[in-house]
Amino acid sequence: MFNRALKIFAAAVITLIAATSLAGCARESTTTGDQTITIYSGRSEDLIAPLLEQFTAETGIGVEVRYSDSASLAAQILEEGSNVQADVFFSQDAGALGAISEAGAFKKLDDDTTGLVDSKYRAVDGTWIGVSGRSRVLSYNPDLLAAADLPKSIFDLADSKFKGKIGIAPTNASFQSSVTAMRILAGESATAKWLTAMKTNAVLFEKNSQILEAVESGQVSAGLINHYYWYERAAEVGEDKMISKMAWFEAGDVGNLINVAGVGVLSDKPEAKTFAKWLLGSTAQNFFVNKTAEYSLTGLAARDGLPALDQIAAPNIDLSALSTLAQTLELIRNARLTD
Amino acid sequence: MRQRPPTLLLGLAIIAVLVSLAPLSYLVIRLGEFGIDKVIANVFRERSLELLANSVLLALAVAVSAVVVGGFQAWLTTRSSLRGRALFAVLAALPLAMPSYVTAYAFTALFTGFRGFAAAWLVLTIGTAPYVYLAVSAALMRADSATEEVARSLGAGRWRVFKEVTWPSVRPAAVSGAMLSALYTLSDFGAVSILSFDTFTRAIYSAYRSSFDRSGAASLAAILVVLTIALLLIEPALRGKSVVTDSRTRKYSEIQLGWFAPVAVMLASAWVIVSLVLPAYSLVRWNQTGLSQVDLGEVSRALINSVGYAAGGGFMAVVFGLAVSVLAIRYRSTLTSALERSIWITHAVPGIVVALSLVFLSNRVLPEIYQTSTLVLVAYLILFLPNAIAAMQTPISQTPRELDEIAASLGASRLQTLRRVIIPIAGPGILAGGALVSLAVLKELPATLLLRETGIETLATRLWSETSVSAYAAAAPYALLLVVVAGIPAWLLNRQVQAGSRVQSGIDQRIERE
Repeated sequence: MFNRALKIFAAAVITLIAATSLAGCARESTTTGDQTITIYSGRSEDLIAPLLEQFTAETGIGVEVRYSDSASLAAQILEEGSNVQADVFFSQDAGALGAISEAGAFKKLDDDTTGLVDSKYRAVDGTWIGVSGRSRVLSYNPDLLAAADLPKSIFDLADSKFKGKIGIAPTNASFQSSVTAMRILAGESATAKWLTAMKTNAVLFEKNSQILEAVESGQVSAGLINHYYWYERAAEVGEDKMISKMAWFEAGDVGNLINVAGVGVLSDKPEAKTFAKWLLGSTAQNFFVNKTAEYSLTGLAARDGLPALDQIAAPNIDLSALSTLAQTLELIRNARLTD
Repeated sequence: MRQRPPTLLLGLAIIAVLVSLAPLSYLVIRLGEFGIDKVIANVFRERSLELLANSVLLALAVAVSAVVVGGFQAWLTTRSSLRGRALFAVLAALPLAMPSYVTAYAFTALFTGFRGFAAAWLVLTIGTAPYVYLAVSAALMRADSATEEVARSLGAGRWRVFKEVTWPSVRPAAVSGAMLSALYTLSDFGAVSILSFDTFTRAIYSAYRSSFDRSGAASLAAILVVLTIALLLIEPALRGKSVVTDSRTRKYSEIQLGWFAPVAVMLASAWVIVSLVLPAYSLVRWNQTGLSQVDLGEVSRALINSVGYAAGGGFMAVVFGLAVSVLAIRYRSTLTSALERSIWITHAVPGIVVALSLVFLSNRVLPEIYQTSTLVLVAYLILFLPNAIAAMQTPISQTPRELDEIAASLGASRLQTLRRVIIPIAGPGILAGGALVSLAVLKELPATLLLRETGIETLATRLWSETSVSAYAAAAPYALLLVVVAGIPAWLLNRQVQAGSRVQSGIDQRIERE
């Protein structure tokens, strides 16, 4: 009987192996050096792959990258438990980094790395750092909304004159982070009131890029997005074809939140820490400014047409606090903007 | 004559069931962590119930419309005298090649404001009607049209013939196609999220996305499992009694459509335009408007990986699907039926939950297979085995039992009978099951994204990453290539369904001679 069970098991395993051998593995030849690190990247391959090539060229450290969205990767890292495969987690936003940090999976970074970034843009306990900044903006269609009529505060969007005219993406992490900031700075009741008004005023989308498309096509007059989506689209259709413009709210308004993409280190490999530090060096910082149209966090000048980072009168907030997402989600849900 | 099932088949089927139920153990662990009171609070919120209602409503609507569209296409292409029906037959199966998130994107790019319930209903009907079409065509081909003629000659009207003769003979196939469509809809994330229609599965994804709330997501996924079990329980009643037809007296007479012919052509053509022409046009337009560039090396690597995964997934589905189907049909008992039903239980669990459960389980039990193609294939087996089984059952049950008995009387063992009788005869149908899974694998995204080997990209993952940075022009070739590659198994499937009848009548003649 035992013998038979063994045979059946063998048959199943052979099937699996035969099937696996069919599943080819055509992979891009990575320029692996003596050492290689594995990166889980929530930032997309199109944007980041060229930067990683430069990293390998400059340091001789090879990289293996797994691209997906930041939240799935965070969930994956948490489910991997003690068998974490990644050396570095490169996240699209601070929230996912905060979740991993809270679970205690990150190693503390060296002081000479964390010291390169303004304390506003990193974890207080030194477990992760921001490497590039992105600003929340109001994207608007000048044919439908004159510059003179632009709202002064994000709270003005609750006005009934904007009914059905504003695009938001309530399930999107960047929107949720900005609502978290609002909750922390303006309080729960003001935030709940604003969200309820947005239920009436807003058209709901899944992604920032869809909002921008809707602004371009005139489906909505304005929408809340991250600034670099404008540049992404401009690169796709040509800058001269862009109809929409970007506007910031008045000084200190929570609608001007600056969030970061950042990294945390998950293994003891020294090369992982090298990578984190390298992202704050001049090659990477220049790349973020020129290629992805983000803000440098080490003081390089911003892209033409963008206000400088320290001139955007962003609200004063500890980004680590953005990981307190649960209460925010409850508010967004209660306003019936999401599930 | 009831025989004991061969141990090999039983063993393979048990392994398949254990594997496909593995995600349940993960759900139980996560739910245990969460605490029952929180689970109940999470599930019985007004909002959750509303989403559940949305999901169920959409699933039912899609199931019904898929049966109407797919059933009409099947009847038109197998029974009517319609000119050009061979072409319509190919076109009816082809939407299978289009992932529903691509169809959804294509439509939103063409029509602003294409969103909400009706949009999701249309897109998912386009994606699932071919399942019904294939199943019902196969059933119509084996149903005996002579009975219909007798009924007609006795003065029954066309509608009465359909209701009392044709429908009962295709009902099991239609119901199983409807079941596949409903479960597909329940687990779909891509289309409903692009079309902004709030469903249960979308809530599961956003629980992961926004709050890293694994236990909350698990409690919602558990509800989908419960819902699936409920559907499985009512399905046999819906199927009705299966009508036994004498497979040897097969004669086709074409129904003259008369005045209905132009209407039928118009309806069928309109559906071709909506389900194929519009999305394809939209894809080609993407390709031309954007400035982003395509990297040919990247495209070819993605193509090779996609084809490899599809072949591997299809092969696994053939082996395990055959074991489960043969057991359930040839060695029917409480045990074998229970095994066959169990495969379906996790079929509505969304891909991301299945994938995370495999991340969790493999890292704790068998870390060696984590992030290898092996684990990806295991995920495909869990996600798509029911599709294969649904496709294989009809052809296997069509294989005349007398042949088994003849083989046995000649001293063949049960496995020899399987190898030398059932597999050769039901071969095209078994391959069709594999092809159906290959198709599903080509289109699959969430599990592939999470479980693939680091550095491996497929057409679907490349498509995902290009669209996530709004590089639509760079995305279009992947979308088009995906549709073309997936078109091959879709076309094969259709051919096998059409050819099945010829093989069958060949066998019938041989039996008659003997």
